Amino acid sequence: MIEMLPEWLLGWLGEDGIATLNYLSNGKHVAWYASVKYTFIAAFAGAALAVLFGLLGAAAKQSSFFILRAIGNTYTTMVRGVPDVLFLLFFPLAFEQSAEYAFAYWRCTPEEIATATSWPLCQAAQWYLGTTEYLIMACVSLGLVYGAFAANVIYGALQAVPKGQLEAAQAFGFKPWQVFWHVQVRQMWVYALPGLSNVWLLLLKATSLLSLLQIIDIVAWADRLGAPNFLPMAGLVHPDWRWKYYLALFVFYILLTLISERFFKALQARVSRGMVRAE
Amino acid sequence: MDAILNNAFVQDLIILAKPALYNIYFALASIPLGFPLAVLLALAKNKPNSWLRKPAEIFIYAFRGSPLFIQFFMFYSLFLAFNQSTWKPLGIDWLVMSPLFIGPLVLVLNTSAYSAEIFYGALRAIPKGEVEAAQAVGMSKWQSFRTVTWPNMLRLAWPAYTNEVVFLFHATALIYFTMPVIDRQKDLMNKAGELFEKDYALFVHFSAAALYFLVISIAIFVLFGWINRYLNRHLSTSKPLSFKANYLR
Amino acid sequence: MKNTWLIALTLGAVFAASPTMAADTLRIGTEGAYAPFNYMDDNGELGGFEIELGNALCAQMERECEFVVNEWDSIIPNLLAGNYDAIMAGMSITEERKETIAFSDEYKPVDPSLYLAMADSDLDFANLEDANIGVQGATIQAGFIEEKYGENNTVKAYETSDQALADLAGGNVDIVLADGEVSRTTADASNGMMELVGPEELVGGGIAIGLRQTDTELLTAFNEALDALKADGTVDDLLKKYFKLEPVFATDEASSEAETDSTE
Repeated sequence: MIEMLPEWLLGWLGEDGIATLNYLSNGKHVAWYASVKYTFIAAFAGAALAVLFGLLGAAAKQSSFFILRAIGNTYTTMVRGVPDVLFLLFFPLAFEQSAEYAFAYWRCTPEEIATATSWPLCQAAQWYLGTTEYLIMACVSLGLVYGAFAANVIYGALQAVPKGQLEAAQAFGFKPWQVFWHVQVRQMWVYALPGLSNVWLLLLKATSLLSLLQIIDIVAWADRLGAPNFLPMAGLVHPDWRWKYYLALFVFYILLTLISERFFKALQARVSRGMVRAE
Repeated sequence: MDAILNNAFVQDLIILAKPALYNIYFALASIPLGFPLAVLLALAKNKPNSWLRKPAEIFIYAFRGSPLFIQFFMFYSLFLAFNQSTWKPLGIDWLVMSPLFIGPLVLVLNTSAYSAEIFYGALRAIPKGEVEAAQAVGMSKWQSFRTVTWPNMLRLAWPAYTNEVVFLFHATALIYFTMPVIDRQKDLMNKAGELFEKDYALFVHFSAAALYFLVISIAIFVLFGWINRYLNRHLSTSKPLSFKANYLR
Repeated sequence: MKNTWLIALTLGAVFAASPTMAADTLRIGTEGAYAPFNYMDDNGELGGFEIELGNALCAQMERECEFVVNEWDSIIPNLLAGNYDAIMAGMSITEERKETIAFSDEYKPVDPSLYLAMADSDLDFANLEDANIGVQGATIQAGFIEEKYGENNTVKAYETSDQALADLAGGNVDIVLADGEVSRTTADASNGMMELVGPEELVGGGIAIGLRQTDTELLTAFNEALDALKADGTVDDLLKKYFKLEPVFATDEASSEAETDSTE
């Protein structure tokens, strides 16, 4: 594939350059580049779920029922006390254990349950978890944790919508949920955008933790690629190059942050068309 | 009494007490350096002189824009790359390569970037009237900094800085995922993971670790809340950071 | 809109992938970072002694096999959780592991672990003090070093063996204790940069396949296939190819059968 490059470029690169390019495009490296899909899936799906959980949490926080308010408040304050790493590790395992527990009572015979000594309680309760399952659970965990942040932001934004509009809608006979959805939520996005862009950046950086959930993502590949290799049969013999790979990831994430910030700035400009902003 | 002590959760709490000290150490070791560095960076970012401003901006952008996890890996492998050539000849490799050093170092760089951004926002929000009054009265630059800029910046930034310190403490949970475990040094996450591997009692072990994080986070909130009240003592309508339950609608 | 599309895509992928639960494919878990036992080559494909042996065993058993990469720390828990059906990752038979999983017959006889150090490092193993010793976490070598040298020395536990070797090359640790084969092949391939030092330490049993204790049928199937491969010399050929070892199994069929009976 390198041969397809124009002559003058090949000449400028020289032999070393071509060897480096060849190395950087071998199967193992291509697998590294391909694994960035996990980062993007986790970021986008996690963000979508975070907005969803944020809306639910904010709605709960401003509800007229004490129980819902309590749930909303507990949800949003919980993440201020517990690290996101803990949630990220805890949630998939908890989900898996609960699912296998449920499977056990559904699929195992009573004798098997009574005589079981180890986990899971019987063979039929096994749940094979592959990368896809872990990825989905990672997305949900990220959505739950950053949903709490988003709930705080959205709650503030909901409060910022002029109350007069809500009262007018009520006077027109809209039901409470209609007032909430069609009037309040519809208008709060412009107030929520700065806070939500912050939450997006936090979420994006949290996707670097996917390797803790046994997903072979860009961080795990950087470790495998950079680790020194001593055996020729296992590939190119090279010393410890990990710092180069991690530096590449460092720059990669900064670029992602740059692009995200540009995007949100443009979005903010578009959404506040016609609004008087104290700028 | 025995029944309480024999409870698995309580036993976990006792086992996790010593690892919690490691997390607290990492947080405590990072604040004394992180805070002054953040103030310096914020002041530099506020200067019109771009020789001072640009490096501060780049530093803040780089360390806020990349994950802490990657920063840990990167610094560890960078230091390792210089081990043979620099640290060992100088005889300081036992210090430089230890997680107890690299951990706080990276945390300092990271927290100073985030805090600098917070302090910078506070600097911009200082009431212009006070600054001009100080100038009019004839205070020198240093005096006006001490009387007007510094107290106002601290007061305005304090709630956000409290959040940042709590995040710093949460971030200490990541350290031993990225560096080798030396001897018996284990922090909360490590120890909880180890206990989990033995008997798969997920909820007990992780809840115990979560409880430690929660309690210490609340302690930070309370302590910093007192400082917040002290900083706002001259304002008659000082808003205390309190959690009031709305029992009546 | 983009987000809902992505969610739908991911969910679709899940539902498409879940039929793997009932498939006949045998899934074998391996680490992929433990050359020459198992490693990932520059094309991103798994290779190594155990990959070839695993494929040969599956051909013998006439079943489809799939290798799954898993980090060393969670390789046993994930076996028990059912992410794969067998472990072939340079795992030695130990009494402690026998409590949670079952082992097949060994496919590589027990081999002393060896210490690796940088060339010209002079360490007195009789009175080792204040040395930095590297090991891979949760291995038999880790437990052994803790007991023997843990008191007066610093023991650093790494996630993978590659990281331990990297730190050795970088000077962060003075010695690394690893399986004999890994130490030997690394020392050979390092062009004199590293050498074997110190005494041989016999830790753990031979290398075998790890299985869940409830999978008795699979255990018998593996053992039968393994016996067949030992008898026809395949295992010996692979041992010679990767480790340059003299034939072990096919030389004396009677004694190897007696051996497999006693290690049961």
